[in-house]
Amino acid sequence: MLFSSIPFLYYFLPLVLAVYFLVPRGAKNAVLFASSLLFYAWGEPRFCVFMLLSIAQGYVFGRLIEKNRRRTKRSKLFLTASVCLSLGLLGYCKYADFFISSLNAVTGASIKLLHVALPIGISFYTFQILSYVVDVYRGEVPAQKSFLKLGTYIAMFPQLIAGPIVRYAEIAPQLDSRETTLEDVSSGACRFVIGLSKKVLLANVLYELITAFQQSRDLSVLYFWLYAVSFTLQLYFDFSGYSDMAIGLGRIFGFQFRENFNYPYISSSITEFWRRWHISLGSWFRDYVYIPLGGNRGSKAKWLRNILVVWMLTGLWHGASWNFVLWGLGFAVLLVAEKLVYGRLLEKTHVFKHVYVLLLVTLSFVLFNADSVSEAVSQLGAMFGADGLPLTSVESVYYLKSYAGTFLFAVIGATPLVSNAVSRFGKTSFGARAPVFLQPLVMLVLLAACTAFLVDGSFNPFLYFRF
Amino acid sequence: MQKNKTMGTVLLLGVFLFGFAVWGALKPADAQSQSERRSLAQLPEFSLSAFADGTWTGDFESYTLDQFPLREQFRTLKSLLSLGVYRQKDNHGVYLADGFVSKLEYPLNEDSIRHAQERFQFVYDTYLAGTDVKPYLAVIPDKNYYLAKQNGYPALDYDAFFSSMRESLPWAQSIDLTGSLTADDYYRTDLHWRQDRLVPTAKTIAEAMGASVEEQFETQTLARDYYGLYYGYAALPVKPETISYLTSDTIDHAIVTNFETNRTCAVYDMEKAAGKDPYEMFLSGSVSLLTIENPNAKTDKELVIFRDSFASSLAPLLLDGYAKITLVDIRYLPSARLGSFLTFTDQDVLFLYSVNVLNNSETIK
Repeated sequence: MLFSSIPFLYYFLPLVLAVYFLVPRGAKNAVLFASSLLFYAWGEPRFCVFMLLSIAQGYVFGRLIEKNRRRTKRSKLFLTASVCLSLGLLGYCKYADFFISSLNAVTGASIKLLHVALPIGISFYTFQILSYVVDVYRGEVPAQKSFLKLGTYIAMFPQLIAGPIVRYAEIAPQLDSRETTLEDVSSGACRFVIGLSKKVLLANVLYELITAFQQSRDLSVLYFWLYAVSFTLQLYFDFSGYSDMAIGLGRIFGFQFRENFNYPYISSSITEFWRRWHISLGSWFRDYVYIPLGGNRGSKAKWLRNILVVWMLTGLWHGASWNFVLWGLGFAVLLVAEKLVYGRLLEKTHVFKHVYVLLLVTLSFVLFNADSVSEAVSQLGAMFGADGLPLTSVESVYYLKSYAGTFLFAVIGATPLVSNAVSRFGKTSFGARAPVFLQPLVMLVLLAACTAFLVDGSFNPFLYFRF
Repeated sequence: MQKNKTMGTVLLLGVFLFGFAVWGALKPADAQSQSERRSLAQLPEFSLSAFADGTWTGDFESYTLDQFPLREQFRTLKSLLSLGVYRQKDNHGVYLADGFVSKLEYPLNEDSIRHAQERFQFVYDTYLAGTDVKPYLAVIPDKNYYLAKQNGYPALDYDAFFSSMRESLPWAQSIDLTGSLTADDYYRTDLHWRQDRLVPTAKTIAEAMGASVEEQFETQTLARDYYGLYYGYAALPVKPETISYLTSDTIDHAIVTNFETNRTCAVYDMEKAAGKDPYEMFLSGSVSLLTIENPNAKTDKELVIFRDSFASSLAPLLLDGYAKITLVDIRYLPSARLGSFLTFTDQDVLFLYSVNVLNNSETIK
């Protein structure tokens, strides 16, 4: 089920909220777990079995690891078993066909593809289970004795299908006991509506332009750039919108999830970009892959190896295809180059460093969104006039004019301008005297506008479902 | 102050969310959407198997979208936001210009035009070549011809379009309709042309074919409002129109035979006029094969029109010059099967197609 859908907003959510706040404290986790299973089962119920099996193995091996904490070999064996099961399931569902087709391409073999359907959110919940068992193994958290609480943590619907990747250690105390104040509900609801607006009022509208581009027979260099910029903005609003909704819903239910985005497009280096983009994934790879591999300790060669491994895996996490691997490795090269070659020089520039980040990120997302490496090469070439493509076309000029307003809203929305302005306004004497209904009214208008867009259209794809 | 703001936010959002949730759950389901001329999704029957394979959830989502309280008003709000706040030039490809609602038709679809040309050539090669029939071709410009370019919207290369049609079908005498029409000759909220303003166009066609058009028609107007197809697409507060139609002694006495139902009826179908799409009153709408016989004809000339829906309102105006007009829609009756129904000898044969259909001709068989 999508957050940005009428069944979620006007059927599922009100029902869950009503039941959640009506039942006694002891039953709240059960309500969350049951509603999360229903949320997940919506549309593809068979995948619930995968998730429940994953949770079960995480629970059992977590307990076994803790029980055998003093017998290092045994606990390591249980950790290895759990990691293998988690990665095995993820590998089978997500990567089997990728490896088979790559093997076929290299060896000339003709092994049949498995065509395994990808369970929604498997990359997210697998990483949460992995972090849980590893943390238990490291002794950083005690194993959860209640299957219900562990299940609630892993399956919790606000963050189940699109993150952020929540660490068990961060919310373990809240699983045992949590309070929801009226302030939490209010700020959570506002955060949810803002996220919903990002998704419905910006990402989905930009997606319409992308669809028009993909169906067009009137292509031009300008049109390829419009597509690239639209996709770059759409991906941000889609994903950060989902993260906002998750954080907001979590707050309503009494959980504090970590931030996942921090205006990545204002970054002045690729290094900074990755500190601001999908923060929970970046920190996961740092804590569970990069540092265990040795991080930047040791020789430069080892550090380079660690960087390459982490970014190849980051690429693969996003999708089972060579363009994702190249996308990840491309960032590895840029990060290393910034560290070793031109990072300091870049810092000294003012405008150029932002142009540099935006240009490279935009180009990287063309590679990211292509169906294959060859398509990406062709699209990137077209952006620079390859194949004698005309500079403009009637359709591209029309859509540039038609979407100018949307681009303006999107560009402003991708920067802290609005939040800074609101914050400054609140500090002025006029802002301090502003009517109390101003914020609620703005939120209501946004919710009504989102509802109007959802009722009107069937445009509602969600990019991160494939992860 | 902060407490009031917090309370206000929770209250307002809560009332909106729970209010529409309860309203949506309790509201009786509507059967039809008048503006979109379609049946609305109803609550699907639940079964475990349907839930397991995802069909129930898909149907339920359609139901919630179709039956959402104030659905039409929300759709209008979305259109107003798209055009007014985002300043988009169209909404779902539908735009407003000079008081008309129109749908973008762009770009020129060469494959589609070629497909239509191939089908027409097949008809000529199979049935017309070697006979004494006189073939004609008239392409009906769509509303965008008069609106798009002038108002900054992408427009087809109409010169290329028309010349491609002319040159690929050299055996047909081409009739240019662009000069006999203006934007005002089309409904403001629909793609079709208005019969009450078609006499000059009918004369242009008749003259080219050496036939005549009556000098006097009486204009009748349906008592109900008419919301065209684009009204539903646009979801904007556009004023409704009316449908006017032309009558004459010839039209009143004409006998229409519908070969789908094997029944005879009048030129204007008043049952359809009261239905979902009143434009279907003209020759009962989409019919694959029908004839109009003119018992008062002073000639034994016959006309066969290969056509789309535009011809339904035009054909009655050509009756004066013919004893019988046959209308064939090869979107529904494959051209390969025409020989079972029609014999071509010395008739006038008119290929009368709109730009909209030729540019999206995959349904022509």
